[in-house]
Amino acid sequence: MAPVSLEKLTKVYPNGFEAVHEFDLEVADGEFMILVGPSGCGKTTAMRMVAGLEEISSGVLRIDGVVMNDVSPRDRDIAMVFQNYALYPHMTVGENIGFALKMKHIPKDEIEKKVRETAEILGLTEWIDRKPAQLSGGQRQRVAMGRAIVREPKVFLMDEPLSNLDAKLRVQMRAEVARIQRRLGVATIYVTHDQVEAMTMGDRVAVMRSGVVLQCDKPQTIYDHPLNLFVAGFMGSPSMNLFEVHLGEGGRTLFLGTQKVELPATVLAAKPSLVKFANKDVVVGIRPESLMIAGTKTNDNAKDFVFFEGDVDLVEALGSEILVHFSTDAHRVEAEGVYSDDAEGLDAGLITQRGEGVARVPPETQLVIGERVRLQVNPKRLFFFDPATGLALSE
Amino acid sequence: MKSVVSTDAQSPQGTTDSLSSKLRRKRKNGVAGYAFVSGYFILLALFGVAPAVYAICLAFTSTGGHFVGLSNFIKTGEDFRFIPAFENVAEYLLIWLGSLVVIVIGLALMLHSIARKVSAAFRFVFYLPGALAGAASVLVWLFMLDPTVSPWRLFLGVFGFQNLGQTILPGHLPLIFAIIAFWAGAGGWIVVTYGALNNIPNELIEAAELDGAGPLQTAIRIKLPLIKKWITFMLILAFAAGTQLFVEPQLVGEASLGLISPTWSPNELAYYFAFQNNNFNYAAAISVDLLVIGLLCAAVLVFRTKLFEVE
Amino acid sequence: MRFFNRVWTRTFSYIVLLAFTAFFMVPVIWLLFSPFKTDHQLISENPFALGTLENLGHAVRVMFTFEDYSLLNWLKNSAIYSFGGIFIALIFSIPAGYGLAHTQFIGRRTLLGITLFVMIMPATALVLPLFLEANSVHAVGTPLAVILPFSFFPFGVYLAYIFYSSSVPKDLLAAARIDGCNEWDVFRRIALPLARPIVALVTFFAFVANWNNFFLPFVMLPNSTNYPLPIGLQDLLSTTPAFNPGQGGQVGIYRPELAVATIVAMAPVMIVFLFAQRSLVSGLLAGSTKE
Repeated sequence: MAPVSLEKLTKVYPNGFEAVHEFDLEVADGEFMILVGPSGCGKTTAMRMVAGLEEISSGVLRIDGVVMNDVSPRDRDIAMVFQNYALYPHMTVGENIGFALKMKHIPKDEIEKKVRETAEILGLTEWIDRKPAQLSGGQRQRVAMGRAIVREPKVFLMDEPLSNLDAKLRVQMRAEVARIQRRLGVATIYVTHDQVEAMTMGDRVAVMRSGVVLQCDKPQTIYDHPLNLFVAGFMGSPSMNLFEVHLGEGGRTLFLGTQKVELPATVLAAKPSLVKFANKDVVVGIRPESLMIAGTKTNDNAKDFVFFEGDVDLVEALGSEILVHFSTDAHRVEAEGVYSDDAEGLDAGLITQRGEGVARVPPETQLVIGERVRLQVNPKRLFFFDPATGLALSE
Repeated sequence: MKSVVSTDAQSPQGTTDSLSSKLRRKRKNGVAGYAFVSGYFILLALFGVAPAVYAICLAFTSTGGHFVGLSNFIKTGEDFRFIPAFENVAEYLLIWLGSLVVIVIGLALMLHSIARKVSAAFRFVFYLPGALAGAASVLVWLFMLDPTVSPWRLFLGVFGFQNLGQTILPGHLPLIFAIIAFWAGAGGWIVVTYGALNNIPNELIEAAELDGAGPLQTAIRIKLPLIKKWITFMLILAFAAGTQLFVEPQLVGEASLGLISPTWSPNELAYYFAFQNNNFNYAAAISVDLLVIGLLCAAVLVFRTKLFEVE
Repeated sequence: MRFFNRVWTRTFSYIVLLAFTAFFMVPVIWLLFSPFKTDHQLISENPFALGTLENLGHAVRVMFTFEDYSLLNWLKNSAIYSFGGIFIALIFSIPAGYGLAHTQFIGRRTLLGITLFVMIMPATALVLPLFLEANSVHAVGTPLAVILPFSFFPFGVYLAYIFYSSSVPKDLLAAARIDGCNEWDVFRRIALPLARPIVALVTFFAFVANWNNFFLPFVMLPNSTNYPLPIGLQDLLSTTPAFNPGQGGQVGIYRPELAVATIVAMAPVMIVFLFAQRSLVSGLLAGSTKE
């Protein structure tokens, strides 16, 4: 029996705004489930309904098979880690961690023992008598984790628990949270707007937008087979390059702006439905890492590749790789809402320019700004979307 | 193994029991809210609303308990002491509010232009007499105004005052009460105005300086317009409190050997009706007059300025 | 030019500020000096001449023994009324502020609005209506007729409301609910312990308001044994020959003794002022610093 099951869970606010629409989800025993999406997509509201902090407008929530719609938060046997940690400022670290046990009237010595064990796991033993105000951000985050794990609940709920940490610490805690969750084997729902967290931490990911789940699957499956433009654009950083192109006669060529690009027969063979878009517009997607500069070292047999040209606008050397911003005269497509919550606003700003794209290339690549380069991509790595519906073309 | 979350109908249950659950939840949360405010609510009802309502009832009835309409308001309004009492207070308010605008704002602007540490010391000194509000401040000023003992005796001598009786002549009272009110109350307003000035971003003042404005220009053209709503706030509160004048004329009257009318201010007149004439209905009528003034001031502040947050 | 301009404005500022310092401080200093002198010295000598400890001892002795230690009795009454009022006000305003900030119930906004109204309205405007009300239930003359109206302190509720809505995040209370607290536990174990700064602030403002209140006890307490200090001061004023030469001089209350009584009356508030300066300014600005 699944620890958590959501059946058509819906949240409508008194002003008529529907924050979550008929959300169905089953979280398996020990599963790490991630809800991801831009801000305002309803992911936090969905989680707060599971926690009992938000009333459920309609639908059924079950925890361990028991309907929980009307059960108060304290009786749901869940633990939650809040974005701002919500540590009790007037209690020490130890008291914070042990508070829930105290409310359960567990004997004092037992609470103490459990608190000490938890502090040990999280490396907090040294700070157990400090108040939250005397701790660093990372330590507070650990206390918030400790408060959740000490209870050994049926379900963990985590609401963007790493978003207040600086970048370095976030990477470190990302691994640590995932490790702790595996070790405890407790079903977990984890809300984030960070697609890196979504990719790396979860067993499964539910991508949400405007209160609706667009796709729910293993992270790699979502990355390799996005069901629509939004998911394609949201997962992955830098985002997938999306161009509106015109498909030629019989689907053998496409027009990227004024460039005519030959499509190998393998493309049509893999995606027969492409034929329907012959002489029509279609959206083609290419992940930045799939793009290579033609003529540079490559192990692939480049014979069957797809080639097109672009002007180098900007070169960002990141050390381990180079991000090449290039422009074509094709029309670039934005999946609505992808960038609304993007922390790297500059990045988003740059690539919204008409016809621009990004390629991720090896660091030794020599490039000159303004130079015209020939780009190549393995046709297997092309994505096609219906411009009218935004849905991916099935294979 | 792709699993798109489907939107097709599966089970129509959940809608009916969610309605009753919603009601249940609302009530539960509501009960907690009511429990937290209930004690305060009772105090509010007993000592805020009830006296006002009772006073209004009395104001519209006769001593015998019959409804008499506006008769009490008219009779008290026609009383020979009514107009002078309001005139006295009006004169006092004119001086007091004028000094608030000119001096308090002037001092706050000066304090805002000097070093922070020094200004903190000045602000504390100006604020300190606030501890002597009420009867103590009046007593202190009776000493200050008595030319025989006052540290300002030379100053008082310039005006030809020889004894207390001459200083506190009835004609001088509005000014004297304004001075007392200023002495005890201006410091608090200076602190508030200074705080408002401090909320002005520094860049704005620096920008004005770069644009060529001198200290005076900056004060008049930049700082003043930005603290306008605080000035309004101050004036309305001071006005509302000023109309209620009671302790000052009462105490100075005590020391004046009967020179000063025991019904100098409206509140004193109301008190006089209640305690000397035993006419609670007249007293209530004047109280209601004053209550309405207070309520109007509150209404203007709440609805006209956006100073108070109610979410 | 600009430079001289600046120097002049600065100099002018300091002259004005120092002049006002004199205006605000001279009465306080004079008051503190005067019990060290005799009534005669006050009239004949330089106002800031130093007196003697002997004179102070005499003035204090006369003042404190006056009418069988009336001054101490007034002091006691003032303390009972002020702190009785504060105590009840705190008990009710902290939960009320919390309830208004963090719970939902029908009429919440209305209650908040009324609180705001009553808070802005001068308290004096309700004194005679309160008297009329107390009179109708025959409560005039009892200490409760002063303490209970004191305990109704809407400003305290507003301060608590502002504090809870701005400084206590909803998630903190949500965390407590998930940790197993019912609504009462959330308040008692989380919200109440966090209220310490607001308790200090409410106490301060209520104390200053109650201690200096004249009008309410004046109408409510006709009996001199019930007087708080401000009414006591008025009583002294009406009997002292210093301001009423016609009165019998035998009571022995002259200016130095009056000064002693005034100092006793103001000292508690002055002490609180000195210690609570910071919180006091923050309270004056409450509402101005929206977060």
